[in-house]
Amino acid sequence: MTTIEKINQEVASSFRRLLYRFQEYTLMSIEIFKGWKAAFKYKYDTLLEMYLTGAQSFPIVFLSGLFMGIILALEVGHRFSTFGAKTIIGRTVALGMVRELGPVIAGLLLAARVGAKNASELGAMQISEQIDALRAFGTNPVQKLVVPRTAAAVIMFFPLTLITDIVGILGGMLVSATSLNLDPSFYWKSAVYGLQGKDLFVGFIKPFIFGYFVSSISCTYGLSTTHGTTGLGRSTINAVVVSSIVILFMDFVLTKVVWEIL
Amino acid sequence: MIYLKNVTISFGDQIILDNIDFKVNKGETAVILGPSGAGKSSLLKVILGLWKVDTGNVIIDGIDITNLSERELFPIRQRMAMVFQGNALFDSLTVEQNVAYFLRENKNLSEKVIREKVRECLSFVNLDDTENLYPEELSGGMKKRVAIARAIASNPEIILYDEPTTGLDPINSKVIIDLIKKLQKNGATSIVVTHIIRDALAVGDSLTLIEDGKLVASGTVDQLLTSDNKFINEFFYEIHDEAALLNQIKTKN
Repeated sequence: MTTIEKINQEVASSFRRLLYRFQEYTLMSIEIFKGWKAAFKYKYDTLLEMYLTGAQSFPIVFLSGLFMGIILALEVGHRFSTFGAKTIIGRTVALGMVRELGPVIAGLLLAARVGAKNASELGAMQISEQIDALRAFGTNPVQKLVVPRTAAAVIMFFPLTLITDIVGILGGMLVSATSLNLDPSFYWKSAVYGLQGKDLFVGFIKPFIFGYFVSSISCTYGLSTTHGTTGLGRSTINAVVVSSIVILFMDFVLTKVVWEIL
Repeated sequence: MIYLKNVTISFGDQIILDNIDFKVNKGETAVILGPSGAGKSSLLKVILGLWKVDTGNVIIDGIDITNLSERELFPIRQRMAMVFQGNALFDSLTVEQNVAYFLRENKNLSEKVIREKVRECLSFVNLDDTENLYPEELSGGMKKRVAIARAIASNPEIILYDEPTTGLDPINSKVIIDLIKKLQKNGATSIVVTHIIRDALAVGDSLTLIEDGKLVASGTVDQLLTSDNKFINEFFYEIHDEAALLNQIKTKN
Protein backbone atom coordinates (compact mmCIF):
# COMPACT_ATOMS: atom_id res chain seq x y z
CA MET A 1 0.00 0.00 0.00
CA THR A 2 1.41 3.40 -0.97
CA THR A 3 1.65 6.31 1.47
CA ILE A 4 -1.13 8.15 -0.38
CA GLU A 5 -3.41 5.13 -0.08
CA LYS A 6 -2.61 4.84 3.62
CA ILE A 7 -3.44 8.52 4.17
CA ASN A 8 -6.68 8.11 2.20
CA GLN A 9 -7.62 5.10 4.28
CA GLU A 10 -6.84 6.92 7.53
CA VAL A 11 -8.89 9.98 6.47
CA ALA A 12 -11.80 7.76 5.46
CA SER A 13 -11.72 5.87 8.75
CA SER A 14 -11.51 9.14 10.77
CA PHE A 15 -14.49 10.49 8.83
CA ARG A 16 -16.44 7.30 9.53
CA ARG A 17 -15.61 7.58 13.23
CA LEU A 18 -16.74 11.21 13.25
CA LEU A 19 -20.04 10.30 11.58
CA TYR A 20 -20.53 7.45 14.04
CA ARG A 21 -19.92 9.79 16.98
CA PHE A 22 -22.35 12.32 15.55
CA GLN A 23 -24.99 9.63 15.12
CA GLU A 24 -24.39 8.40 18.67
CA TYR A 25 -24.69 11.95 20.03
CA THR A 26 -27.88 12.62 18.06
CA LEU A 27 -29.49 9.45 19.40
CA MET A 28 -28.42 10.37 22.93
CA SER A 29 -29.92 13.87 22.54
CA ILE A 30 -33.21 12.40 21.33
CA GLU A 31 -33.28 10.07 24.32
CA ILE A 32 -32.51 12.93 26.71
CA PHE A 33 -35.37 15.02 25.32
CA LYS A 34 -37.75 12.06 25.30
CA GLY A 35 -36.87 11.16 28.89
CA TRP A 36 -36.56 14.66 30.41
CA LYS A 37 -39.20 13.85 33.05
CA ALA A 38 -36.66 11.46 34.59
CA ALA A 39 -35.05 14.57 36.14
CA PHE A 40 -38.08 14.57 38.49
CA LYS A 41 -38.29 10.80 38.84
CA TYR A 42 -34.66 10.75 39.98
CA LYS A 43 -34.94 14.01 41.87
CA TYR A 44 -32.35 13.07 44.50
CA ASP A 45 -29.82 12.31 41.75
CA THR A 46 -30.67 15.63 40.10
CA LEU A 47 -30.26 17.53 43.38
CA LEU A 48 -26.98 15.76 44.13
CA GLU A 49 -25.66 16.61 40.66
CA MET A 50 -26.80 20.23 41.12
CA TYR A 51 -24.74 20.34 44.30
CA LEU A 52 -21.71 18.72 42.68
CA THR A 53 -21.95 20.85 39.54
CA GLY A 54 -23.04 24.08 41.18
CA ALA A 55 -21.93 24.46 44.77
CA GLN A 56 -18.62 22.67 44.31
CA SER A 57 -17.76 24.72 41.22
CA PHE A 58 -18.32 28.00 43.06
CA PRO A 59 -14.69 28.63 44.13
CA ILE A 60 -13.26 28.12 40.66
CA VAL A 61 -15.80 30.34 38.87
CA PHE A 62 -15.52 32.96 41.60
CA LEU A 63 -11.75 33.21 41.30
CA SER A 64 -11.69 33.08 37.52
CA GLY A 65 -14.42 35.73 37.26
CA LEU A 66 -12.60 37.98 39.73
CA PHE A 67 -9.26 37.80 37.95
CA MET A 68 -10.85 38.13 34.53
CA GLY A 69 -12.58 41.36 35.61
CA ILE A 70 -9.38 42.69 37.22
CA ILE A 71 -7.27 41.94 34.14
CA LEU A 72 -9.86 43.34 31.75
CA ALA A 73 -10.16 46.56 33.76
CA LEU A 74 -6.37 46.93 33.95
CA GLU A 75 -5.85 46.32 30.23
CA VAL A 76 -8.58 48.63 28.98
CA GLY A 77 -8.18 51.11 31.84
CA HIS A 78 -4.58 52.04 31.04
CA ARG A 79 -5.33 52.42 27.35
CA PHE A 80 -8.54 54.39 27.88
CA SER A 81 -6.90 56.70 30.39
CA THR A 82 -4.35 57.79 27.75
CA PHE A 83 -7.11 59.51 25.80
CA GLY A 84 -9.29 60.46 28.78
CA ALA A 85 -11.94 57.79 28.37
CA LYS A 86 -11.70 56.31 31.86
CA THR A 87 -15.43 56.87 32.29
CA ILE A 88 -16.29 54.00 29.98
CA ILE A 89 -14.15 51.40 31.77
CA GLY A 90 -17.13 50.16 33.78
CA ARG A 91 -19.26 49.82 30.68
CA THR A 92 -16.51 48.01 28.78
CA VAL A 93 -15.81 45.56 31.61
CA ALA A 94 -19.54 44.91 32.15
CA LEU A 95 -20.15 44.34 28.45
CA GLY A 96 -17.10 42.11 28.12
CA MET A 97 -18.00 40.07 31.17
CA VAL A 98 -21.74 39.72 30.60
CA ARG A 99 -21.74 39.14 26.86
CA GLU A 100 -18.62 37.07 26.33
CA LEU A 101 -16.05 36.44 29.02
CA GLY A 102 -18.42 35.42 31.82
CA PRO A 103 -20.30 32.73 29.89
CA VAL A 104 -17.28 31.50 27.93
CA ILE A 105 -14.83 31.36 30.86
CA ALA A 106 -17.42 29.73 33.13
CA GLY A 107 -18.39 27.39 30.28
CA LEU A 108 -14.82 26.33 29.58
CA LEU A 109 -13.99 25.82 33.25
CA LEU A 110 -17.14 23.82 33.77
CA ALA A 111 -16.48 21.85 30.60
CA ALA A 112 -13.21 20.78 32.19
CA ARG A 113 -14.65 20.16 35.64
CA VAL A 114 -18.13 18.80 34.92
CA GLY A 115 -17.20 17.25 31.57
CA ALA A 116 -14.29 15.31 33.06
CA LYS A 117 -16.41 14.24 36.03
CA ASN A 118 -19.28 12.98 33.88
CA ALA A 119 -17.11 11.20 31.33
CA SER A 120 -14.90 9.51 33.91
CA GLU A 121 -17.77 8.49 36.22
CA LEU A 122 -19.93 7.05 33.46
CA GLY A 123 -16.90 5.58 31.70
CA ALA A 124 -15.83 3.77 34.88
CA MET A 125 -19.39 2.49 35.29
CA GLN A 126 -19.36 1.31 31.69
CA ILE A 127 -16.11 -0.63 31.91
CA SER A 128 -17.04 -2.18 35.28
CA GLU A 129 -20.36 -3.42 33.80
CA GLN A 130 -22.44 -1.23 36.15
CA ILE A 131 -24.30 0.17 33.13
CA ASP A 132 -25.15 -3.39 32.04
CA ALA A 133 -26.27 -4.12 35.60
CA LEU A 134 -28.58 -1.08 35.52
CA ARG A 135 -30.10 -2.28 32.26
CA ALA A 136 -30.45 -5.77 33.66
CA PHE A 137 -32.44 -4.27 36.55
CA GLY A 138 -34.76 -2.55 34.09
CA THR A 139 -33.27 0.93 34.55
CA ASN A 140 -32.70 3.12 31.53
CA PRO A 141 -29.10 4.39 32.02
CA VAL A 142 -29.79 7.58 30.07
CA GLN A 143 -32.74 8.46 32.29
CA LYS A 144 -31.00 7.47 35.50
CA LEU A 145 -27.56 8.94 34.82
CA VAL A 146 -27.62 11.37 31.90
CA VAL A 147 -30.90 13.24 32.37
CA PRO A 148 -30.22 14.27 36.01
CA ARG A 149 -26.69 15.37 35.09
CA THR A 150 -27.89 17.35 32.08
CA ALA A 151 -30.75 18.95 34.01
CA ALA A 152 -28.31 19.89 36.78
CA ALA A 153 -25.85 21.43 34.28
CA VAL A 154 -28.57 23.38 32.46
CA ILE A 155 -29.91 24.75 35.76
CA MET A 156 -26.59 25.44 37.51
CA PHE A 157 -24.54 26.92 34.66
CA PHE A 158 -26.74 30.03 34.76
CA PRO A 159 -26.14 31.06 38.41
CA LEU A 160 -22.45 30.18 38.06
CA THR A 161 -22.17 32.41 35.01
CA LEU A 162 -24.05 35.14 36.84
CA ILE A 163 -21.55 34.89 39.70
CA THR A 164 -18.64 35.07 37.21
CA ASP A 165 -20.20 38.21 35.65
CA ILE A 166 -20.89 39.98 38.93
CA VAL A 167 -17.55 39.11 40.52
CA GLY A 168 -15.77 40.15 37.31
CA ILE A 169 -17.50 43.53 37.28
CA LEU A 170 -16.71 44.01 40.98
CA GLY A 171 -13.08 43.01 40.36
CA GLY A 172 -12.92 45.63 37.63
CA MET A 173 -14.37 48.18 40.06
CA LEU A 174 -11.71 47.31 42.63
CA VAL A 175 -8.88 47.88 40.15
CA SER A 176 -10.47 51.02 38.74
CA ALA A 177 -10.73 52.48 42.23
CA THR A 178 -7.28 51.49 43.44
CA SER A 179 -5.09 51.69 40.33
CA LEU A 180 -6.94 54.06 38.03
CA ASN A 181 -8.42 56.43 40.63
CA LEU A 182 -11.94 56.06 39.27
CA ASP A 183 -14.81 56.73 41.62
CA PRO A 184 -16.51 53.34 42.32
CA SER A 185 -20.01 54.82 42.11
CA PHE A 186 -19.15 56.28 38.73
CA TYR A 187 -17.77 52.92 37.58
CA TRP A 188 -20.85 51.10 38.83
CA LYS A 189 -23.30 53.47 37.11
CA SER A 190 -21.33 53.21 33.87
CA ALA A 191 -21.34 49.42 34.14
CA VAL A 192 -25.01 49.02 34.99
CA TYR A 193 -26.43 51.64 32.63
CA GLY A 194 -24.13 50.50 29.84
CA LEU A 195 -25.82 47.12 29.68
CA GLN A 196 -28.84 46.78 27.42
CA GLY A 197 -31.52 44.12 27.30
CA LYS A 198 -29.85 42.57 24.27
CA ASP A 199 -26.56 42.19 26.16
CA LEU A 200 -28.27 40.51 29.08
CA PHE A 201 -30.23 38.24 26.76
CA VAL A 202 -27.18 37.00 24.85
CA GLY A 203 -25.15 36.66 28.03
CA PHE A 204 -27.82 34.78 29.92
CA ILE A 205 -28.99 32.43 27.17
CA LYS A 206 -25.48 31.06 26.68
CA PRO A 207 -25.05 29.21 30.00
CA PHE A 208 -28.22 27.17 29.41
CA ILE A 209 -26.99 26.08 25.99
CA PHE A 210 -23.42 25.50 27.17
CA GLY A 211 -24.69 23.46 30.13
CA TYR A 212 -26.70 21.22 27.85
CA PHE A 213 -23.84 20.60 25.44
CA VAL A 214 -21.17 20.04 28.11
CA SER A 215 -23.27 17.49 29.95
CA SER A 216 -24.72 15.65 26.97
CA ILE A 217 -21.36 15.44 25.15
CA SER A 218 -19.44 14.26 28.21
CA CYS A 219 -22.10 11.68 29.10
CA THR A 220 -22.08 10.38 25.51
CA TYR A 221 -18.32 9.91 25.68
CA GLY A 222 -18.59 8.30 29.12
CA LEU A 223 -21.24 5.79 28.09
CA SER A 224 -19.36 4.82 24.95
CA THR A 225 -16.10 4.08 26.78
CA THR A 226 -14.36 0.89 25.72
CA HIS A 227 -10.89 -0.63 26.12
CA GLY A 228 -10.47 -0.36 29.89
CA THR A 229 -8.58 2.36 31.69
CA THR A 230 -6.77 3.57 28.56
CA GLY A 231 -10.14 4.04 26.90
CA LEU A 232 -11.43 5.81 29.99
CA GLY A 233 -8.61 8.34 29.80
CA ARG A 234 -9.26 8.85 26.10
CA SER A 235 -12.99 9.35 26.68
CA THR A 236 -12.35 11.92 29.40
CA ILE A 237 -9.89 13.90 27.26
CA ASN A 238 -12.20 13.78 24.24
CA ALA A 239 -15.19 14.85 26.33
CA VAL A 240 -13.36 17.94 27.61
CA VAL A 241 -11.83 18.84 24.23
CA VAL A 242 -15.04 18.42 22.23
CA SER A 243 -17.15 20.24 24.88
CA SER A 244 -14.70 23.16 24.85
CA ILE A 245 -14.71 23.40 21.06
CA VAL A 246 -18.52 23.24 20.96
CA ILE A 247 -18.72 26.01 23.59
CA LEU A 248 -16.50 28.29 21.49
CA PHE A 249 -18.40 27.45 18.32
CA MET A 250 -21.81 27.98 19.96
CA ASP A 251 -20.56 31.24 21.45
CA PHE A 252 -19.74 32.45 17.96
CA VAL A 253 -23.10 31.27 16.58
CA LEU A 254 -25.12 32.88 19.38
CA THR A 255 -23.22 36.15 19.21
CA LYS A 256 -23.62 36.28 15.44
CA VAL A 257 -27.32 35.38 15.55
CA VAL A 258 -28.08 37.95 18.23
CA TRP A 259 -26.22 40.71 16.35
CA GLU A 260 -28.05 39.79 13.15
CA ILE A 261 -31.52 39.41 14.61
CA LEU A 262 -31.76 41.77 17.58
CA MET B 1 -36.63 -23.04 28.96
CA ILE B 2 -33.82 -20.98 27.46
CA TYR B 3 -33.15 -21.63 23.80
CA LEU B 4 -30.56 -19.93 21.64
CA LYS B 5 -31.27 -20.90 18.06
CA ASN B 6 -28.38 -20.49 15.60
CA VAL B 7 -27.20 -17.27 17.23
CA THR B 8 -24.45 -15.25 15.58
CA ILE B 9 -22.97 -11.97 16.81
CA SER B 10 -20.12 -9.99 15.36
CA PHE B 11 -18.47 -6.63 16.02
CA GLY B 12 -17.03 -5.40 12.75
CA ASP B 13 -15.02 -8.24 11.28
CA GLN B 14 -14.75 -10.08 14.60
CA ILE B 15 -17.22 -12.90 15.09
CA ILE B 16 -18.06 -13.23 18.79
CA LEU B 17 -20.61 -16.05 18.62
CA ASP B 18 -20.87 -18.23 15.55
CA ASN B 19 -24.11 -20.09 14.91
CA ILE B 20 -24.60 -21.17 18.52
CA ASP B 21 -27.42 -23.61 19.25
CA PHE B 22 -27.89 -23.94 22.98
CA LYS B 23 -30.69 -25.11 25.24
CA VAL B 24 -31.25 -25.11 29.00
CA ASN B 25 -34.27 -26.79 30.53
CA LYS B 26 -36.25 -25.37 33.43
CA GLY B 27 -34.61 -26.02 36.80
CA GLU B 28 -31.39 -27.22 35.17
CA THR B 29 -27.90 -25.84 35.78
CA ALA B 30 -25.96 -25.51 32.56
CA VAL B 31 -22.27 -24.73 32.65
CA ILE B 32 -20.59 -22.99 29.76
CA LEU B 33 -16.90 -23.76 29.65
CA GLY B 34 -14.21 -22.41 27.42
CA PRO B 35 -10.93 -20.56 27.31
CA SER B 36 -10.78 -16.79 27.89
CA GLY B 37 -12.19 -14.79 24.98
CA ALA B 38 -14.21 -17.75 23.69
CA GLY B 39 -17.50 -15.83 23.88
CA LYS B 40 -18.88 -17.29 27.12
CA SER B 41 -19.82 -13.97 28.76
CA SER B 42 -21.27 -12.72 25.47
CA LEU B 43 -23.68 -15.63 25.56
CA LEU B 44 -25.02 -14.47 28.93
CA LYS B 45 -25.44 -10.91 27.68
CA VAL B 46 -27.40 -12.24 24.72
CA ILE B 47 -29.69 -14.24 27.01
CA LEU B 48 -30.30 -11.16 29.15
CA GLY B 49 -31.06 -9.12 26.03
CA LEU B 50 -28.18 -6.71 26.69
CA TRP B 51 -26.67 -7.54 23.32
CA LYS B 52 -28.66 -7.93 20.12
CA VAL B 53 -27.89 -10.83 17.82
CA ASP B 54 -27.06 -10.47 14.12
CA THR B 55 -28.85 -13.65 13.15
CA GLY B 56 -30.72 -16.37 15.01
CA ASN B 57 -33.25 -16.26 17.83
CA VAL B 58 -33.19 -16.04 21.60
CA ILE B 59 -36.21 -17.72 23.14
CA ILE B 60 -36.98 -17.53 26.87
CA ASP B 61 -39.88 -19.70 28.05
CA GLY B 62 -41.39 -19.68 24.58
CA ILE B 63 -41.05 -15.91 24.08
CA ASP B 64 -38.78 -14.80 21.27
CA ILE B 65 -36.89 -11.85 22.76
CA THR B 66 -34.59 -11.35 19.77
CA ASN B 67 -36.12 -8.13 18.52
CA LEU B 68 -37.81 -6.83 21.65
CA SER B 69 -37.22 -3.23 22.73
CA GLU B 70 -35.78 -2.41 26.17
CA ARG B 71 -39.31 -1.71 27.42
CA GLU B 72 -40.66 -4.99 26.04
CA LEU B 73 -37.70 -6.86 27.50
CA PHE B 74 -38.35 -5.57 30.98
CA PRO B 75 -40.92 -8.19 32.10
CA ILE B 76 -38.59 -10.94 30.84
CA ARG B 77 -35.58 -9.41 32.59
CA GLN B 78 -37.56 -9.18 35.82
CA ARG B 79 -37.53 -12.98 35.89
CA MET B 80 -33.76 -13.15 35.41
CA ALA B 81 -30.76 -11.98 37.38
CA MET B 82 -27.10 -11.89 36.60
CA VAL B 83 -24.01 -12.07 38.77
CA PHE B 84 -21.45 -10.15 36.75
CA GLN B 85 -17.83 -11.16 36.42
CA GLY B 86 -16.56 -7.99 38.10
CA ASN B 87 -19.63 -7.97 40.39
CA ALA B 88 -20.81 -4.62 38.93
CA LEU B 89 -21.87 -3.38 42.34
CA PHE B 90 -22.87 0.29 42.27
CA ASP B 91 -19.93 1.84 44.09
CA SER B 92 -21.79 4.99 45.10
CA LEU B 93 -24.36 2.89 46.99
CA THR B 94 -24.07 0.93 50.23
CA VAL B 95 -24.48 -2.85 50.37
CA GLU B 96 -28.09 -2.38 51.54
CA GLN B 97 -28.84 0.05 48.69
CA ASN B 98 -27.22 -2.29 46.17
CA VAL B 99 -29.25 -5.29 47.28
CA ALA B 100 -32.44 -3.24 47.50
CA TYR B 101 -31.87 -1.51 44.16
CA PHE B 102 -34.22 -3.64 42.08
CA LEU B 103 -36.96 -3.59 44.73
CA ARG B 104 -36.82 0.19 45.23
CA GLU B 105 -36.65 0.85 41.49
CA ASN B 106 -39.34 -1.50 40.27
CA LYS B 107 -41.54 -2.75 43.08
CA ASN B 108 -44.07 -0.78 45.00
CA LEU B 109 -43.07 -2.13 48.40
CA SER B 110 -42.86 -0.42 51.76
CA GLU B 111 -39.42 0.38 53.17
CA LYS B 112 -40.06 -2.11 55.97
CA VAL B 113 -40.67 -4.97 53.52
CA ILE B 114 -37.64 -3.98 51.44
CA ARG B 115 -35.35 -3.85 54.49
CA GLU B 116 -36.63 -7.23 55.61
CA LYS B 117 -35.97 -8.70 52.15
CA VAL B 118 -32.46 -7.21 52.08
CA ARG B 119 -31.69 -8.70 55.50
CA GLU B 120 -32.98 -12.06 54.30
CA CYS B 121 -30.82 -11.98 51.16
CA LEU B 122 -27.71 -10.88 53.04
CA SER B 123 -28.32 -13.56 55.64
CA PHE B 124 -28.62 -16.13 52.82
CA VAL B 125 -25.09 -15.25 51.70
CA ASN B 126 -23.81 -15.01 55.30
CA LEU B 127 -23.23 -11.29 55.20
CA ASP B 128 -25.31 -10.07 58.12
CA ASP B 129 -24.44 -6.63 59.48
CA THR B 130 -22.79 -5.38 56.30
CA GLU B 131 -25.71 -3.20 55.18
CA ASN B 132 -23.96 0.09 55.73
CA LEU B 133 -20.66 -0.78 54.14
CA TYR B 134 -19.67 0.43 50.67
CA PRO B 135 -18.41 -2.04 48.03
CA GLU B 136 -14.87 -0.64 48.32
CA GLU B 137 -14.81 -1.72 51.96
CA LEU B 138 -15.49 -5.38 51.09
CA SER B 139 -13.11 -8.19 50.16
CA GLY B 140 -13.38 -9.94 46.77
CA GLY B 141 -15.35 -12.85 48.19
CA MET B 142 -17.73 -10.55 50.08
CA LYS B 143 -18.33 -8.48 46.95
CA LYS B 144 -19.23 -11.63 45.06
CA ARG B 145 -21.64 -12.64 47.81
CA VAL B 146 -23.27 -9.18 47.78
CA ALA B 147 -23.62 -9.55 44.00
CA ILE B 148 -25.41 -12.86 44.57
CA ALA B 149 -27.60 -11.31 47.28
CA ARG B 150 -28.49 -8.49 44.88
CA ALA B 151 -29.30 -11.01 42.16
CA ILE B 152 -31.63 -13.09 44.32
CA ALA B 153 -33.44 -10.11 45.84
CA SER B 154 -35.89 -10.15 42.94
CA ASN B 155 -36.65 -13.90 43.37
CA PRO B 156 -35.49 -14.67 39.82
CA GLU B 157 -36.44 -17.85 38.00
CA ILE B 158 -33.22 -17.72 35.96
CA ILE B 159 -29.81 -16.83 37.41
CA LEU B 160 -26.81 -16.18 35.20
CA TYR B 161 -23.36 -16.37 36.76
CA ASP B 162 -20.41 -14.93 34.88
CA GLU B 163 -17.15 -16.45 36.20
CA PRO B 164 -18.47 -16.56 39.79
CA THR B 165 -15.26 -17.84 41.38
CA THR B 166 -12.58 -16.26 39.21
CA GLY B 167 -10.00 -14.44 41.31
CA LEU B 168 -11.19 -15.91 44.60
CA ASP B 169 -9.18 -18.07 46.97
CA PRO B 170 -10.21 -21.75 47.35
CA ILE B 171 -12.18 -21.12 50.56
CA ASN B 172 -14.21 -18.25 49.10
CA SER B 173 -14.65 -20.21 45.86
CA LYS B 174 -16.18 -23.03 47.86
CA VAL B 175 -18.50 -20.59 49.64
CA ILE B 176 -19.73 -19.28 46.29
CA ILE B 177 -20.15 -22.77 44.82
CA ASP B 178 -22.12 -23.81 47.92
CA LEU B 179 -24.37 -20.76 47.45
CA ILE B 180 -24.97 -21.69 43.82
CA LYS B 181 -25.88 -25.22 44.91
CA LYS B 182 -28.20 -23.83 47.59
CA LEU B 183 -29.98 -21.74 44.95
CA GLN B 184 -30.18 -24.78 42.66
CA LYS B 185 -32.15 -26.57 45.37
CA ASN B 186 -34.63 -23.66 45.36
CA GLY B 187 -35.44 -24.60 41.76
CA ALA B 188 -33.81 -21.73 39.87
CA THR B 189 -32.63 -22.35 36.32
CA SER B 190 -28.95 -21.42 36.27
CA ILE B 191 -26.30 -20.82 33.67
CA VAL B 192 -22.76 -20.70 35.00
CA VAL B 193 -19.98 -19.41 32.82
CA THR B 194 -16.56 -20.49 33.99
CA HIS B 195 -13.21 -21.78 32.87
CA ILE B 196 -12.62 -23.56 36.19
CA ILE B 197 -13.39 -27.23 35.59
CA ARG B 198 -13.65 -28.15 39.24
CA ASP B 199 -16.52 -25.60 39.68
CA ALA B 200 -18.16 -26.77 36.48
CA LEU B 201 -18.23 -30.34 37.70
CA ALA B 202 -19.46 -29.26 41.14
CA VAL B 203 -22.59 -27.46 39.91
CA GLY B 204 -23.29 -28.49 36.34
CA ASP B 205 -26.10 -30.77 35.18
CA SER B 206 -24.88 -30.26 31.64
CA LEU B 207 -21.68 -28.86 30.18
CA THR B 208 -21.21 -26.86 27.01
CA LEU B 209 -17.77 -26.20 25.62
CA ILE B 210 -17.14 -23.11 23.51
CA GLU B 211 -14.04 -22.14 21.56
CA ASP B 212 -13.62 -19.03 19.38
CA GLY B 213 -17.36 -18.35 19.50
CA LYS B 214 -18.21 -21.84 18.24
CA LEU B 215 -19.94 -24.57 20.19
CA VAL B 216 -17.47 -27.47 20.39
CA ALA B 217 -19.37 -29.96 22.51
CA SER B 218 -22.40 -30.23 24.70
CA GLY B 219 -23.61 -32.98 27.00
CA THR B 220 -23.65 -34.35 30.50
CA VAL B 221 -20.53 -34.39 32.67
CA ASP B 222 -19.97 -38.11 32.01
CA GLN B 223 -20.38 -37.72 28.25
CA LEU B 224 -17.78 -34.98 28.08
CA LEU B 225 -15.29 -36.61 30.44
CA THR B 226 -15.31 -39.80 28.37
CA SER B 227 -15.21 -38.05 25.00
CA ASP B 228 -12.51 -38.81 22.42
CA ASN B 229 -12.49 -35.22 21.13
CA LYS B 230 -8.94 -33.82 21.30
CA PHE B 231 -9.96 -30.31 22.35
CA ILE B 232 -12.25 -31.64 25.08
CA ASN B 233 -9.48 -33.86 26.40
CA GLU B 234 -7.00 -30.98 26.32
CA PHE B 235 -9.47 -28.81 28.17
CA PHE B 236 -10.07 -31.44 30.82
CA TYR B 237 -6.37 -32.33 31.20
CA GLU B 238 -6.39 -30.70 34.65
CA ILE B 239 -8.96 -33.23 35.89
CA HIS B 240 -7.17 -36.17 34.27
CA ASP B 241 -3.86 -34.97 35.74
CA GLU B 242 -5.41 -34.63 39.18
CA ALA B 243 -6.91 -38.12 38.94
CA ALA B 244 -3.51 -39.50 37.92
CA LEU B 245 -1.85 -37.63 40.78
CA LEU B 246 -4.37 -39.01 43.28
CA ASN B 247 -3.72 -42.54 41.97
CA GLN B 248 0.03 -42.00 42.37
CA ILE B 249 -0.39 -40.83 45.97
CA LYS B 250 -2.69 -43.77 46.73
CA THR B 251 -0.15 -46.21 45.20
CA LYS B 252 2.71 -44.71 47.25
CA ASN B 253 0.74 -44.99 50.44
